Amino acid sequence: MTGVAEATTSILREPEYRIEGRDKVTGAARFAADIVRPGMLHAAYVTSPFPHARVVSVDLTRARAMPGVRAVLTGAETKPQRLGRRLQDWPLLAWDRVLFIGDRVAVVAADTVEIAAAAAAAVDVEYEELPAILDPEAALAPEAPVLHPDAAGYAYLGGGTRPTVPHPNVQGHGIREHGDVDAGFAASHRVYEHTFTVARTHQSYLEPRASLVWLEGDRIRVVTTNKAPFALRQHLSVSLGIPESRIVVDAGHIGGDFGGKGLSIDEFVLYHLARVTGRPVRAVTRYADELQATNTRHAARIILRTGVDPDGRILAHTSRVIFDGGAYAAGKPVATLMPGDAMLTLAGYRVPAARVEAMAVYTNQVPAGHSRAPGQPQNAFAAESHMDLIARDLGIDAFALRERNVVRPGDVDVTGQPWHGTDGAALLAKLRSASRYDDRTANIRSVGAKGIGVGIALGVRHVGRGRASMVLRVTASGHVELHTGVSDQGGGAHTVFQRIVASELGVPLEQVAVIRGTTDAVPNDPGVGGSRVTPVQGSAALAAARALKKRLGDRELEEVGALEVIGEAAQETHEASMYAYALVAEVDPDTCKVRIRQATLVADVGTVINPVALRGQLEGGFVFGLGQAVMEDLRVEDGRVVTANLGDYKIPTIADVPPLTVELLTEDPGPGPFGAKSAGELANPAVGAAVANAVHAACGVRVMSLPVTAEKIWRESRRSGS
Amino acid sequence: MSTHRLRFTLNGTPRELEIAADRLLIDVIRDDCGATGTKLGCGVGICGTCSVLVDGELVSACLVPAVFVDGRSLTTVEGLAQDGELTPLQDAFIRDGGFQCGICTPGQLIAATALLREHPRPDGREVRDWMMGNLCRCTGYYGIERAIMRASGAGGQSDGRGLGGQRPPSLS
Ligand code: FES
Ligand code: FES
Repeated sequence: MTGVAEATTSILREPEYRIEGRDKVTGAARFAADIVRPGMLHAAYVTSPFPHARVVSVDLTRARAMPGVRAVLTGAETKPQRLGRRLQDWPLLAWDRVLFIGDRVAVVAADTVEIAAAAAAAVDVEYEELPAILDPEAALAPEAPVLHPDAAGYAYLGGGTRPTVPHPNVQGHGIREHGDVDAGFAASHRVYEHTFTVARTHQSYLEPRASLVWLEGDRIRVVTTNKAPFALRQHLSVSLGIPESRIVVDAGHIGGDFGGKGLSIDEFVLYHLARVTGRPVRAVTRYADELQATNTRHAARIILRTGVDPDGRILAHTSRVIFDGGAYAAGKPVATLMPGDAMLTLAGYRVPAARVEAMAVYTNQVPAGHSRAPGQPQNAFAAESHMDLIARDLGIDAFALRERNVVRPGDVDVTGQPWHGTDGAALLAKLRSASRYDDRTANIRSVGAKGIGVGIALGVRHVGRGRASMVLRVTASGHVELHTGVSDQGGGAHTVFQRIVASELGVPLEQVAVIRGTTDAVPNDPGVGGSRVTPVQGSAALAAARALKKRLGDRELEEVGALEVIGEAAQETHEASMYAYALVAEVDPDTCKVRIRQATLVADVGTVINPVALRGQLEGGFVFGLGQAVMEDLRVEDGRVVTANLGDYKIPTIADVPPLTVELLTEDPGPGPFGAKSAGELANPAVGAAVANAVHAACGVRVMSLPVTAEKIWRESRRSGS
Repeated sequence: MSTHRLRFTLNGTPRELEIAADRLLIDVIRDDCGATGTKLGCGVGICGTCSVLVDGELVSACLVPAVFVDGRSLTTVEGLAQDGELTPLQDAFIRDGGFQCGICTPGQLIAATALLREHPRPDGREVRDWMMGNLCRCTGYYGIERAIMRASGAGGQSDGRGLGGQRPPSLS
């Protein structure tokens, strides 16, 4: 691997000017909902008002008779087709039972959005209500009704077979153990057990999902907000029984993702509507349906038990994590059918012995899916709150307890594997100085400031893994074109690739164009996600540039004529990076309102490719985490989402954002191009615990659930009399 | 539903349309005029992605009927750059990380344009008060504030919030 030194070309030292910047600031950038086709129809759904019910009958007479209605389909026509990223358990349209409020029973295609909605409202469905399971614990009872009795027949994508589960209402389950856990607890000076709960939240990208499907000869054309077009092509192929070669997916600018735009639920029925009407059909989700229809972050209940020696060193750890998976597992792409990091329950520490159990459970709630660093916001909140509680009880400074336990390269962590990644001690040292922790806490003590406290929390995130390839073409005029299947959901992927290729070739940026292609025009690509764009796809861009250099030999680009090379990358790293926060919180003694006065984030990012975008990922990740820490709660009552618009489901505004200092660790090269690591999912998960810990330091009240709201602090302070 | 003959200018170009009286401004801009730079987000007046200027005044196009602009002049994001020349604000949004996915950007730029007309040299508090109605899920707002400060001539200096006037993180 080329060292960092070579990477610090003048190109990488300059702040980037985003390739798509001009289009995005002039309104020229076209997003999926901006694209129209002649003769296009609009889709609307008939959805279940019950969390669990049998569909007795569906009467389409009135809907079909309405002028402007071109087609109405029910589950009878799409049966037995189901969709899903890994486990295809979600019927395109329900034909016998509906499993949550919002589950789809019929779909209309009509000339206008208004007619489609009116026709959907005119479909008469008779339901017979069934007992609903609204809580994972109830789902796990031995006598609980089985929500998916036909699970054995579901397609499981990606090769292999679906892992076995301990109860038919479990989507995915895992147990992992290392070291001698019982001996560890027996030797412990103290054993602490705490239970935490984490609310359901939504990614709240501001672009609702949109898709447009039409037939062109024997080709099926799909315009979509899905961030993984090749994966969507595969899902469509399997669900609809159509070869991938006939499906062309086009995913351009994507208006935010945060894990939520990997699951598509419209394109499948749009194909059927396009087939029966012979017209293009579009679905643009109303925002209220975004919040109610699918793919929330999993609500979770997490029990952590940890044994420590008198100095607070961790000797043994067990955990049990139960995620509310909702009605379908379709949103989860990973083999375990749990959120990706479901089992990382005490990340970032040396753990000589651990037994971790996690599961995602079927309920009659909105289906949960992936949300920025899946599994981590829940687990990091629990772990870092737990560590703080242990420190307090032992009378050890929260910083010191972490310094004693934090992982350093080669240490065994909660996974039972040696840690490859950030030197945790260096990270904490940097946080101590950058946040002026000692001064700040001494100050607060000396002036006896009431209601102000500093909270710290750390987090880890793996560097992305996987395979990708890209084509690099030299044009007759000596320009270079990188052809990629990566869509940009805001991270700045194309500018990353441009800068990598230009740096490696030693040519000006203007000489390198990055061209995004549809799935029929470029090599297979794994899509955006899993913290993989820079380390994996960026490595493919670098490999392409290196392959081109080799082909060129001593010749100049202008001399070789048209030429094409392929760059392939297989990133199998086990590296991870760490980050940590120190937050200063102020809690109003009367209202219990929390104000974050200042935040410091230290993050290990390796070599920086796009300095402006990197900073944006960390700042944006912090505020994303802050929203989920203090205000976001997708509240559900009797299976119905009651925060169904952005007025009720509050996300941070510019006025909610505190001053933030960001310090980077860049010396330790990562496995990505020129030593880069990942950043997109590095900053958000630990904010919840940092807030809870700061609130505890400020006012002596511990909140054991996310979000940490004034109401919870008030209730808790009344209860504990503090 | 009665129809209405609507006359207005869109980014300086006169338009004349026959529309149903209950059509929303956002739909007329996007569907009838094909000006898709303005985005539809929440649809209930919270997110600001649909922000436009009507006779220079900031309006959420998802909330008002299209007849509201009869006889008036409408500016959308497509009307900011003149003859292909970006405004200082547009350029600053690119340089300072004022956007990521870009879906909120048309609305942010329209709102910030109105801000700078009202307060050419806003301080941080004025920026935050004014821009509160424009949500962004990507940037955490720091880049947006930096961009507005730069465009106002404050040279990327804010009042110490965010990374303020610091340089972007360097490689060393
Ligand atoms: S779409 Fe108009 S304010 Fe959100
Ligand atoms: S840039 Fe994506 S929402 Fe603002």
